Amino acid sequence: MRPADLTPIARDVMKLPASVGLVFFSLAGAFLLQVLPWSGTWLLSRPDFVLIVLIFWVVHEPRSIGQGVAFALGLFVDVTDSMLLGQHALAYVIATFGAQILRLRILSFHLPEQTLHVMGLTIVASAVTLTLNLLLGADFPGFAYLVSPVLTAMCWAPVNWVLYSRALRRRREGTS
Amino acid sequence: MIREPPPFFHRGPSPLARLTFFTIAAVALMIADHRFRALETVRLSLSVLAHPIEELAALPSQAVGRVTDYFASQERLLRENQELKVKVLEQSAAAQEARLLRAEQAHLLAMGPGKSRYAEGGLLAEVLYSARNPFTRKVVVDKGLKDNVAPGMPVIDGSGVVGQVTNVGTFTSEVTLVTEKDQSVPVMLVRNGLRAIAVGSGKDGSIDVPFMPVSADIQNGDTFVTSGIDGTYPPGLLVAQVTSVEKNAAYVFAKIVAKPAAGVENHRYVMVLPIPQAGAAPPEARAQDTKPGKARPGTRRRDATR
Repeated sequence: MRPADLTPIARDVMKLPASVGLVFFSLAGAFLLQVLPWSGTWLLSRPDFVLIVLIFWVVHEPRSIGQGVAFALGLFVDVTDSMLLGQHALAYVIATFGAQILRLRILSFHLPEQTLHVMGLTIVASAVTLTLNLLLGADFPGFAYLVSPVLTAMCWAPVNWVLYSRALRRRREGTS
Repeated sequence: MIREPPPFFHRGPSPLARLTFFTIAAVALMIADHRFRALETVRLSLSVLAHPIEELAALPSQAVGRVTDYFASQERLLRENQELKVKVLEQSAAAQEARLLRAEQAHLLAMGPGKSRYAEGGLLAEVLYSARNPFTRKVVVDKGLKDNVAPGMPVIDGSGVVGQVTNVGTFTSEVTLVTEKDQSVPVMLVRNGLRAIAVGSGKDGSIDVPFMPVSADIQNGDTFVTSGIDGTYPPGLLVAQVTSVEKNAAYVFAKIVAKPAAGVENHRYVMVLPIPQAGAAPPEARAQDTKPGKARPGTRRRDATR
């Protein structure tokens, strides 16, 4: 009898925990991309790099990366994006909660289906920020803003390829 | 899965409990920041931590700018030089006149109490980038607390008012542009001295002048300068030029739209002006100033959507 294909879950179960350095530098790299001098339509449709890397680690390292980290990262993004303190913190915490709930479900799919699940989370996070700003009296910034969560979710596959790449994994195995 | 411990192992609060806790914390932060502006120190220290990464991210575009500057064609430089010479000639007459007026004013002020309403000196700042907040119109300049920049300072460029400093970090500060929604500047019509308030519309390159009666004497092409009665903006700075006046008897107010005089969206260097020292205000005005909640028009609601 042919054994059932359990590749995605099996891969997650068998992998070694990521090193703290990898988690830290991946988040710092995402942060660097986030604070490039974006402006205009580019800014509106800018993918939320920090959020996608955060979701990646919540899904793959649930024991160490959770809502506390999400909250702290959100505060950082609020400061650098000169927004009201707490907006991104709230959005990231809610997205992280969703990722924690959907974690096992996400892992049981392949990348395309995973991307759709992640898109749900990014849309919720964007909706939280948008709603808060509209409540505070801002105008709707433009339809390019609606592209941002989709682009964020599109980054899911590249983030997986990079953070799951052989080189990084081998180094991870070597250091652990 | 296998690596998940069975539920009877201790794992801390459940995700839902954590979510509730962090949501309450985030909402409390937002209220503290928005209503009481109580978190400036938190913001300041976080921005210092984030500063190295921001510097690093700004490097590529800075490098591109430097290289472009270096290879600027001679023809363009010559043309620019010519234009600047013409501009200097045009402005030197006005500058000499201003010097005379200033001397006269100093003379008059020496006779009685009171201080100059005009800003003394200014700080040249370079615009680093526009703030990465899609909901507001702000730019970030390279002068901060270390250069004694303070919130509320007016910012101008060569042709008019750009905006106002609203948030000061250690090395950088944020300037809210005059086109930002609800950013208001007290202005005066040059032609007849009519006072009004110019309010940003939240759209590129347009400022509204609300609450002017239909009978108000405002025409297309009129220019607005700062009136200086707020004590924040020095008087006489160009703010905007009226581009359309719509007077409809069905409405109480005329609909007046103006174009900002300064190149609000596209400048590289700006001047941060100090807030003029408040002169001897009349007693009733002074009494009003000390009332709580009576903010200056220029600074009120300046960060409603930060």
